[in-house]
Amino acid sequence: MLNKVIHSDILQKKRKLDSSKEESTSPTCINGNIKTNYFSEYEQKYMEKAFELANEALQSNEVPVGCIFVYEDNIIAIGRNMVNETRNATRHAEMCCIDQVNDFCKKENLNFIAVFKETFVYVTVEPCIMCAAALYDLKVKSIIYGCKNDRFGGETVFNVADVLKPVTTRKGGYRADDAMNLLKLFYQGVNPSAPSSKLKRKFKETT
Amino acid sequence: MSAICKVRSILDDSFINNLPLTEVFVDSITCPKNISKVVLELNLLFPLPELIHLKRVKSKEVLLFPSQNIVKEEVHKILQERGFPIDLLKNEIRKVEVAAVPPLVRSQYLQCHSIWPCNFHSDKYIEKLYTNTLFSDEELKIKMKFMNITEDIGKFSKNNNGVLIVDPKSNSVVAVGYDRSNDGPCRHAVMVAIDNVSKSQRGGCWTNDEYFTVDQCNSNCKDIPSDILALLRGKYTDIKFSDSALIPSERVTPYLCTGYDVFSTREPCIMCAMALIHSRAKRVFYGKSSENGGLGTLCKIHTVKNLNHHYEVFIVENIEEKKDS
Ligand SMILES: [Zn+2]
Ligand SMILES: [Zn+2]
Repeated sequence: MLNKVIHSDILQKKRKLDSSKEESTSPTCINGNIKTNYFSEYEQKYMEKAFELANEALQSNEVPVGCIFVYEDNIIAIGRNMVNETRNATRHAEMCCIDQVNDFCKKENLNFIAVFKETFVYVTVEPCIMCAAALYDLKVKSIIYGCKNDRFGGETVFNVADVLKPVTTRKGGYRADDAMNLLKLFYQGVNPSAPSSKLKRKFKETT
Repeated sequence: MSAICKVRSILDDSFINNLPLTEVFVDSITCPKNISKVVLELNLLFPLPELIHLKRVKSKEVLLFPSQNIVKEEVHKILQERGFPIDLLKNEIRKVEVAAVPPLVRSQYLQCHSIWPCNFHSDKYIEKLYTNTLFSDEELKIKMKFMNITEDIGKFSKNNNGVLIVDPKSNSVVAVGYDRSNDGPCRHAVMVAIDNVSKSQRGGCWTNDEYFTVDQCNSNCKDIPSDILALLRGKYTDIKFSDSALIPSERVTPYLCTGYDVFSTREPCIMCAMALIHSRAKRVFYGKSSENGGLGTLCKIHTVKNLNHHYEVFIVENIEEKKDS
């Protein structure tokens, strides 16, 4: 326990050094009244894995979000954004993982309701409104994420928890700047599947 | 069957609720011929940028400033301190509740105008939405027909949840979906329909091979299961099914559900409501409210500010009452 605290102190100091914007890097926690402002070694390990997937998404010209689901200390789903590949705007990393958990449960002959209840979600970006609602409905144990999602966030843009009153705990802020920088890298480039502005205008004229 | 169909808009609360009120001080003008001078001085010394929608004068009374925590007796002192010629006013100070924000629809305008006159710029389109007069009788008939088809599709699921995605430019069906949550917890009818639209655009993630014959896969209707397609084509002979998605003459490949209308037997949940935002749907019509609905019941996802896309939402009431019983 002491070890963990010391480690988190170092981590926090490092984070402060790493960034000029202290505010955006300080981890936030909404976990009942309990304030947890550090990430355990386990959490760090799994978040690093999620970051690998986010990088993979970027390389595949997808919005760089990576996600893993952990059940009984086993990774049971790994996902990344696949919107462009599937031409389906709902194929977020979390949704891909939910499908994998369903397959896992079928294969292992487990009750998916029970499995989701004991599942920890690690994702590089705050889940969007859609994914947050899905994860709350499935009653996942906890969601740990990197940066805020200021375009679609299920807390930041519209707080889904206010209406769904989830049992799921949420904690964000792990390598928030890195997660955000990945997104910026993507949005600086061109989303190959979205119509260009010229095409968009043409499309509008025909509607 | 006579179409007893009513399509009601689900608007943001700001259109529906009474306008929030705020308290201001007003006073009477000593001499009516000085009105313009009083207004000029007040606008200069006490500009009211937040209350710009309010008129400054109501017959012989003028609006001074928000009352905040100021007592009536101090009003003239404050006016004087700023250099206002107080002899122009009678010092018959009253507190009046006025609209704190501009009215958005005529009914709000009438509500607040009776208390204190205000400016109102009627938006014809919003007014039509508000008064549920956007659609012609002819259009209502078509909406109702699509709602009926949606109900038929719902019958393929265990909970009667069906979704129909329509291109309103040609009134043709682009994709259908019905609840398949047996195959996965997120496969609500909306999610399935969205994926079927993706399939019509050479994408998609969920296989539904078991639903298709080989012949079906070669046609451009591969997003509609063959048994459903046969049934629908037989029953609704005047509706085009899945012919519009990739019309060669249109040149531009459709992007997600851009421009499409979505019909759903039930109010979509929050997940599905947001999925339709991500998919850029144009309008959503639903039959019945849901306990967990995200388009009117628990919240109104389509009115969330700061989202990059918004669609309009309508509830289609009294559809096929006979069949329900
Ligand atoms: Zn999402
Ligand atoms: Zn749903």
